[in-house]
Amino acid sequence: MRYLAKRTVYMLVILALSSVAVFYAIRLSGGDATAARLPASATEADRETFREVLGLNDPIYQQYFTYMGRLLSGDLGNSLTNNALISKMLIEHGRNSLVLGAAAFILVFLVGVPLGMLASVRRNTFVDQGIMSLSVAGMAVPNFWLALLSIWLFASVLGWLPSAGCCEPRQLLLPAIVLAAEGTALTVRMTRSAMLENLDSDWVRTLRAGGLSEARVIGKHVFRNALIPIISLAGLRIGQIVGYALIVEVIFGWPGLGQVLVNAVLRRDYPVAQFFSLVLIVMVVLGNWLADLGYLAANPRLRKV
Amino acid sequence: MTSSTPESYLAEWNQRLLDFEESRHVSLLRRAMRNLVRNRLLLTGTILALLVVGAGLLGPIIIGGDYELINFSNTHATPFTEDALLGTDHLGRDTAIRLFVAIRVSLAVAVGVTGLALVVGLALGTVAGYRGGWSDRSLSGVMDFIWGFPLILVAVLFAGGLGEGLLSVILAVGLVNMAAIARVVRGEVLSLSEREFIEAARAGGLSNGRIIRKHLLPNILAPALVLASYYIAVAIIAEAALSFIGLGAQPPLPSLGQMVAEGRNFLQLNHWETTIPGLTLVLMVLSVSLIGDGLRDVFDPRLRHEAKGVEAT
Amino acid sequence: MAAPILSVRDLTTVIHTEGIRFKVVRGVSFDLYPNEILGLVGESGCGKTMTALSVMGLIPAPAARVTGGKVMFRDRDLVRLSERQMREVRGDDISMIFQDPLTSLDPMFTIGHLLTEVIRRHRSISRAEAEALALQALTEVELPDPQIRMNQYPHQLSGGMRQRVMIGMALMLDPDILIADEPTTALDVTVQAQILDRLVGQQRRRDMSMLLITHDLGVVAAVADRVAVMYSGEIVEQATVEELFADPQHPYTQGLLQAVPQTRHQRGALHTIPGRVPPPQFIPPGCAFSPRCAQALVRCWEERPELVADGHRDLRCFNPQPLALV
Repeated sequence: MRYLAKRTVYMLVILALSSVAVFYAIRLSGGDATAARLPASATEADRETFREVLGLNDPIYQQYFTYMGRLLSGDLGNSLTNNALISKMLIEHGRNSLVLGAAAFILVFLVGVPLGMLASVRRNTFVDQGIMSLSVAGMAVPNFWLALLSIWLFASVLGWLPSAGCCEPRQLLLPAIVLAAEGTALTVRMTRSAMLENLDSDWVRTLRAGGLSEARVIGKHVFRNALIPIISLAGLRIGQIVGYALIVEVIFGWPGLGQVLVNAVLRRDYPVAQFFSLVLIVMVVLGNWLADLGYLAANPRLRKV
Repeated sequence: MTSSTPESYLAEWNQRLLDFEESRHVSLLRRAMRNLVRNRLLLTGTILALLVVGAGLLGPIIIGGDYELINFSNTHATPFTEDALLGTDHLGRDTAIRLFVAIRVSLAVAVGVTGLALVVGLALGTVAGYRGGWSDRSLSGVMDFIWGFPLILVAVLFAGGLGEGLLSVILAVGLVNMAAIARVVRGEVLSLSEREFIEAARAGGLSNGRIIRKHLLPNILAPALVLASYYIAVAIIAEAALSFIGLGAQPPLPSLGQMVAEGRNFLQLNHWETTIPGLTLVLMVLSVSLIGDGLRDVFDPRLRHEAKGVEAT
Repeated sequence: MAAPILSVRDLTTVIHTEGIRFKVVRGVSFDLYPNEILGLVGESGCGKTMTALSVMGLIPAPAARVTGGKVMFRDRDLVRLSERQMREVRGDDISMIFQDPLTSLDPMFTIGHLLTEVIRRHRSISRAEAEALALQALTEVELPDPQIRMNQYPHQLSGGMRQRVMIGMALMLDPDILIADEPTTALDVTVQAQILDRLVGQQRRRDMSMLLITHDLGVVAAVADRVAVMYSGEIVEQATVEELFADPQHPYTQGLLQAVPQTRHQRGALHTIPGRVPPPQFIPPGCAFSPRCAQALVRCWEERPELVADGHRDLRCFNPQPLALV
């Protein structure tokens, strides 16, 4: 349990540090916040009062605590561009992003792990080489390019799937696949090498000497051991999905958090950019923490010492 | 055998045994050389990389021209028509010269910045791993913190603060890749420091600087290079992706991702405007990954995992 | 003497790697009788373990393959059994213990789980019955607190305890034959004796035959009934323990015995055998031991001696000399 406590404290520290980093990054260099709110005709005196009201003249650490205090009390503020409630945006877009991200995450492991196992069992055959070539291709093709290709093929040429939009299952399919592509390719490679490493271990011989079938030895025991590194890197996969969601949501017009953040940055909508940066960071950090929990649950050497 | 006594037979036999093992040794060496040539990954990757780098460096000099020059009388030209080698885009700008400049941008951001990150990462990782104690804890803490975040998200954060442009991409690539490399270098140095030859060097009274230069660095360089090649691939994709959504290179400076984005509106009219920069990107990433895999096979059979798998252990 | 329970004839195993093919087991023949312990001794790399794995059908395919010979067990040739039939034999009729107890148990499962899985693979009994059987086996090998160990993972047990688990696992289905490959080598000296004692005690109690593979002549002298000495993938001498130790005939056996530090016999410099074991890729044309043999004849360099049975002893040598004369 000490491991769990350590990881949890670590997660909280990271969260606190990240919130400071984001706040400083965007507030310090964010330009003049009054420019967006006040008409161009406003006098310097008006601007000064405005800054005073917003607390922009306070020391930055004080502004940080004011901001965090407001966030924690549920007052998320409004968008500068259309005055929409940020809390409302969070609920709407957050749901869409969760759907897309979860779909991609499931795809990564549902496709990546079995393919990696197949490649390891058929080591050095053309099945293995075929899967590994696919995996190299999956890592080499940038996902926005893959997105364009798949839109061109499935939407324009074949007309099977819609090119963009939200939020029907048919519309989810392409963005989820594109978002999952690189993580799947990495998972295939990792699963294969983890399986091969365990296949060479002494205890495999013990199990065989006990008369267990190859299917049992590989499908249950070797797989169970190979799962450990796979789970321990699931946090990285989550981070990767969050990062790439910024791109994929924009291309497919999927109204999620990534699209909101990118648009806010492009439109210099600082309150929105700041808040949704924080949200995505929280997701990455939470994802890593959940992966730690999974690692703990899967690894008896950590559970009972 | 011509021997007549057991002693001479033993001597003769031992000689033959030595010759046999020598021949195996030689053939092992020869096999390694053959592997190097036969290392198709490395070979293909290097050829591809030379092609791309050559195009980026020499292309603008050879064909000349201005990547900003707009010519509305010749828009959406297909490749090999009307003295535009690779066609023109929606503003009639020459795709070839824009492509070559875009390759330069990509190389500068991905290879150049990751190269710098490699140097800094090597230094920080070595210090952390070799000194240990307080400097290790603080350095690793910072590196772990940075490393936990996806590159694209970090770049978008910088863009949120500094405004869109290549600067935020460069900062993100530099920071994240430096942290990633430093973490692995630290781990390698830690495990090397416990090995006998380093202990022996220490016991022999060698200075720290000398131990690091003569004994540690040569052993770390191979895995660090392999890793760096993976992170270059990640950086190429990240720069292109950010430019694609408008947060990276700003017009008129061309970038591969931006060219793909501009061309996507005219897919029906002239798909080459997207296909050419897109394929170039794939080739670049492929060449770097192949070089990485090839280097790994040549240098370091221990690095059997993918780059990120190494860091789990 | 009764009929042998395991009869190995001309067993040959070939390894094929990096374009080179070579024999690691070169026509090994031996019999294992009911209720006896046969020691298989030799230096590391002489093919002891490969012989055992070939009998078990556990050699790492496709790099290694049994290319000839027979392994007769209860009127069946194990070499010719299908993998499926062989799995019925492994762990049930013939079981095996390996050298390194620290890495020989799957770290992801509890001891109880590992044992019951093997039991239920061979016997159609309920989980509770299988657990009772596993517990009984662990109790018999005197594993402390067996009930608690059942629910523990391998990493929670010491090396000696893990080897007891391995032994319990090998014995729990009452096999006819136990193959123990260096069962005590990886353990502390103090634990070695206990484990060996346990192993022999169980063998006597269960009327089981045991093939004990070791490089330790002391272990063989203490527990084995008969000994087979291996060199370069073949058996060079085979006899009862008493005969072999009292009157070793093969020059290699003599060398091995003289190399053992003994306080009783000579003090001072230990005897060593000149030269070294040839790699399996490069075995001398005549007698494999001839380059290192002080009494080798020209014939020994050119012609491979056969294993000749002479009363109670098998010997592969053209020019045996009594030890006293060497």
